Amino acid sequence: MSATARLPVDERGRPLFELPDELAIDTDVARRVIADFIRGQLRQAGFERLVLGLSGGIDSALVAYLVSEAIGADKLLAVLMPYRTSSPASRGDAEAVIAALGCSSELVEITAMVDGYFGAGGEAGAGGPDAAAAASLRRGNFMARMRMSVLYDKSAAFGGLVVGTGNKTESLIGYTTLFGDSACAFNPIGDLYKSQVRQLSAAVGVPRQVIAKAPSADLWPDQTDEGEGAFSYPLLDRILYWRIDRRRSTDELVAMGFELALVERVERLVATSEFKRQVPPIAKLGPRTAGVDYLYPRRRPGSART
Amino acid sequence: MQTLRIALAQLAPRLGELEANLERHRTVLGSARRDGADLVVFPELGLTGYLLQDLAAEVAMRLDDPRLAELAAETAGGVSAIVSFVEESGDHRLFIAAALLEDGEIRHVHRKVFLPTYGQFDERRFFAPGDTIRATPSDLGVGVGIAVCEDFWHLGTPLLLALDGAQVLINVSSSPGRDLAARNEVGLGTATSWRTLMRTYAQLTTSFVVFVNRVGIDESMTFWGGSEVIGPSGEPIFSAPFFDDDVYLVDVNLEDVRRERIALPLLRDERLELQARELGRVIAERAGLATDSTADAGAEPGMDVATSRAPNRASDRASTMGDSGEPIRLRTRRNRAASR
Repeated sequence: MSATARLPVDERGRPLFELPDELAIDTDVARRVIADFIRGQLRQAGFERLVLGLSGGIDSALVAYLVSEAIGADKLLAVLMPYRTSSPASRGDAEAVIAALGCSSELVEITAMVDGYFGAGGEAGAGGPDAAAAASLRRGNFMARMRMSVLYDKSAAFGGLVVGTGNKTESLIGYTTLFGDSACAFNPIGDLYKSQVRQLSAAVGVPRQVIAKAPSADLWPDQTDEGEGAFSYPLLDRILYWRIDRRRSTDELVAMGFELALVERVERLVATSEFKRQVPPIAKLGPRTAGVDYLYPRRRPGSART
Repeated sequence: MQTLRIALAQLAPRLGELEANLERHRTVLGSARRDGADLVVFPELGLTGYLLQDLAAEVAMRLDDPRLAELAAETAGGVSAIVSFVEESGDHRLFIAAALLEDGEIRHVHRKVFLPTYGQFDERRFFAPGDTIRATPSDLGVGVGIAVCEDFWHLGTPLLLALDGAQVLINVSSSPGRDLAARNEVGLGTATSWRTLMRTYAQLTTSFVVFVNRVGIDESMTFWGGSEVIGPSGEPIFSAPFFDDDVYLVDVNLEDVRRERIALPLLRDERLELQARELGRVIAERAGLATDSTADAGAEPGMDVATSRAPNRASDRASTMGDSGEPIRLRTRRNRAASR
């Protein structure tokens, strides 16, 4: 059975996206596991509601749909956090998701927060003259962390946990901002590659224009993930899948037909971003140290909010 | 017809909440008894939840714990039950235990022998391994063999239980589901592997196989359920849905064991003394106490395969002749990640 046979198509009959055969998942099972996961996380934490940042992109749209399936859209708060240069189309797509789901939403412009630090209109901000000349990477990371700050404040105000929306591909190559977009209470799609996110999005009914558009962090105008990294997601996903999930060596990947330079570049990205995927190490000094030899599940009797 | 009614308690235990889980067990046991069940099977660590880590010592019970006695008392009305919990022994080892409760008492305790400590599992860090695999007689009129999850990923377990007199092999599990690849027969790689194992064991031991797997989540893990009863010919009799928290009643005809064992006398034809003899030889050779007559030339004592010939590269595997001209025994591997 070819997985591509069941993919949604555009008006010309072409698939909306490419799904490598080995990455195709059983979306019914995935939806059930994720729904149970979301409900279980909430129950153990003593919460009933969830908050997420809705960007207009496919990852957060998919999570909004999965949360709505698991606990109902009425228990979800979607927060839109555009910066002044954010694409208006992204906002339109986010609003389409909100309208389709019927969840509540809030709009929080982060422009004043970001410009207050980096400065705007020739005026230096709190970050000083150096910050005014900051490269887009610094600005992008700062924006992601401002959005995190807003989400965690809304979490307290709304009484909902922050649900993560990062996918496995971007996590593995480190295409995330530490303590920014990767910050969350739990993540239902963090073990799905981008290609699988697209497949599952089609299955749950994420709007077609959200699935079809080029993925972008939308940190500056016309930015796209694939343009920035010079890769295609299906190819990147396949390399990561065979290298990590299926433990193939570099030599074996090359023998399978992958380009050596690309494989080595992906391996470097994975290795250099390892720190982003782990809890920071604590210097071991005492008899019992969290994460080393003090090992408890995150939630146990007495853990839930009362 | 000698019918046995088995209740498969495919429950979602609450992690670390012993009292809540005890209450759920009592409730399920009571209603299953009223539904005419002869045997109620609860999942691995159903009384405590699975991913306990350092909580294990806090929820552990001695076999003389009054809470266990109270639960066992529920079986006084003529129903048998298999329950699983953290057992603390007199010398303070912690075991993953599964106990057969009958006539108001603990009739038999199996301590999980194989503790997976690889991949997503870390059991050996927190638990001691059991040292026995034994069948037990039961009020059900048939010998019962109890195993816990990973015990069934070792061929010796079902064989020993069947040879020791079990006609019903019971595996209680906390198996986390993973690998959602669409090519999997039932949408879940773990389930596909387990289903293959249970059908194979039932057929090869010509015994009933009862599998009870929990549902619900602990941390990142989602347990998939899919509890089953397989007949002695390897045919599935009942397959529970995945992920649903529920109790399923299954009637089996124990005469199927006789029918199958007469038609297919595999157990009759087992060569125990041959197995024991050859195992004894392998054990002595592995320990370096005997010359290994089946080892590659140049292999270290006890290693069987010479270092220089370890087939870990594709180019090495292509040749079947070693440097010395001796034929190398080709070792083939399953090309698929093991799923549990």
